[in-house]
Amino acid sequence: MQGFALYPFDPPGDVAALRGELRGWLAANQPTGDIVARANCWASFDPDFSRALGGAGYIGMTLPSRYGGGDRHPLERYVVIEELLAAGAPVGAHWIADRQTGPLILRYGSEEQRQRYLPGIARGELYACIGLSEPGAGSDLAAVRTAARETADGWRINGQKIWTTGAHLSHIMLALVRTEEGSERNAGLSQLLIDLDTPGITIRPIIDMAGRHDFNEVFFDDVLVPHGALVGERGQGWKQVTAELGLERSGPERYLSSHALLVALIDAAGPDPAPPVAALIGELSAELWTLRQLSMSTAAKLAAGEDPMVEASVVKELGNAFEQDMPRRVQAIVDCPWDDASDLGRLLRALLIASPSFSLRGGTREVIRGIIARGLGLR
Amino acid sequence: MSAAREMLCDTARAAFAEAATAGMTPVEEAGFALLLVPEGEGGFGGDWGDVNAVLQIAGAMVPDLPIAARIAPEGLQAAATISLMAGAMGAALALSIEHVNTRQQFGRPLGKFQAVQQSLAVMACEVRAVEAAAAALAARLDVVGRDPVAADFEIAAAKLRANRAVGVVTSIAHQVHGAIGFTREYALNRVTIPLMRWRGEHGNDAHWAARLGRQVAGLGGQGLWAAMTERSDKNRML
Repeated sequence: MQGFALYPFDPPGDVAALRGELRGWLAANQPTGDIVARANCWASFDPDFSRALGGAGYIGMTLPSRYGGGDRHPLERYVVIEELLAAGAPVGAHWIADRQTGPLILRYGSEEQRQRYLPGIARGELYACIGLSEPGAGSDLAAVRTAARETADGWRINGQKIWTTGAHLSHIMLALVRTEEGSERNAGLSQLLIDLDTPGITIRPIIDMAGRHDFNEVFFDDVLVPHGALVGERGQGWKQVTAELGLERSGPERYLSSHALLVALIDAAGPDPAPPVAALIGELSAELWTLRQLSMSTAAKLAAGEDPMVEASVVKELGNAFEQDMPRRVQAIVDCPWDDASDLGRLLRALLIASPSFSLRGGTREVIRGIIARGLGLR
Repeated sequence: MSAAREMLCDTARAAFAEAATAGMTPVEEAGFALLLVPEGEGGFGGDWGDVNAVLQIAGAMVPDLPIAARIAPEGLQAAATISLMAGAMGAALALSIEHVNTRQQFGRPLGKFQAVQQSLAVMACEVRAVEAAAAALAARLDVVGRDPVAADFEIAAAKLRANRAVGVVTSIAHQVHGAIGFTREYALNRVTIPLMRWRGEHGNDAHWAARLGRQVAGLGGQGLWAAMTERSDKNRML
């Protein structure tokens, strides 16, 4: 791996104005409900908010206007999503469709798929989930066994996905399935776009340790989808998924999930904090600032058409560590009972419990470090 | 990197290679003291991006020579030290990668072991973070005419981040090297000892954490994000 040069983050147009418009819009439209929903806010589903946000032109921004998109630059979208996350807006409903499914359909999908799905995604009305993990294929994704066989009527799917975030609230799943009988590992895989109301699909909740229903098991029992459900090239699923993960790993959601806690900590500390609290705020701010530089640079590299797989993994690794570390360090310094009802106390408890998932979702810490090690020329 | 900066870096590598044995004379002869002096005044007319690039090379090759003191003004010695640290950390990482890919134990290179791979990945993340901090600080300094007051947030954040990386980077570098890295002869200590020293110079962790913490407390919870984005948007516009 070469030394890291910062890639200039240089979106077209007036970035400050774009931020200002969005902040004004949020002031009028962001739900003022539970403060806890502002933490880890890209897991907060709020279809009303997503529809309003889509209506205001902040979803599908980079899609072409002929598909309902905004024809905007990827770095303009970056500015918008970092603002939404920093504000703790409930972006969970449309998050995956906007971040990866939409761009993937645009890149690999057929014209029919683009016309069918992209306008709904951009309106903030059509939600997607990602069908990757299976009971026998977690970190070892190439062990995927869910099978799709091509028949005269279409693709017939049998198998099971698991840990599928938002499957119960989504309209479509982009699934990685084995289309070639007898194929092994990362060969013979393809991506299918599956309407989740197709007969034969069963979605069962898995309640997480925080008591939330975010992820699910999804069963496919002789599910028949049309030939046109294939996305991109048959047998190229592995390559397409790998590209998709680049979009998934380096975004600002990898270091802003706990931002609401930092805001609450600073507000609770007041303008003249005790020395240990001031030091903690200083250290967290330095890390936040550094992570933002890394993430913006990686976004700029992605926008320039490069494939910064290693840099994206560095952002995820450092971002996850930061977000997990923050609630633990706040708890170590701030005297706050477990059942404290203040904003700070409630956010702290919620993030202590939610944060173990941060270095699991989107690739485990161990897998991510393995990717970085390969980038260093080890292995 | 621009062609002019590439040339500058080539010159630095050549001069610093000589300086490693000859001391400061080759550095003076190559004119590095004039790096920031405007062209109209007979200098090179460089910016802080150039200083960052040159000092990273100095930090890797000749960390014990007073090159930062010759190039950068007194008020920017903390900023200069961050570039030296980024360079020295890059050198420690390169030495570590080279070592684990070469040294064989249990019949294979150390770099084949997952435990070693995971350690080096952690180290690489720290090095990348410091390199990014140094580059972002350089961008800010060039926008504000190298005024340390106008870049106070960035200097504090970058020095603090660099300081905090020192422990991780030096300990992993030495751990993966084993005993050879602990010898006087082997090159690793020539960057790890300076890293330990720089952590305490021009503001240790407590100094910058207290300073940045008080500054951020004054901004308020929402104010931190507003200030951070305003500063980076401004970097871009000017």
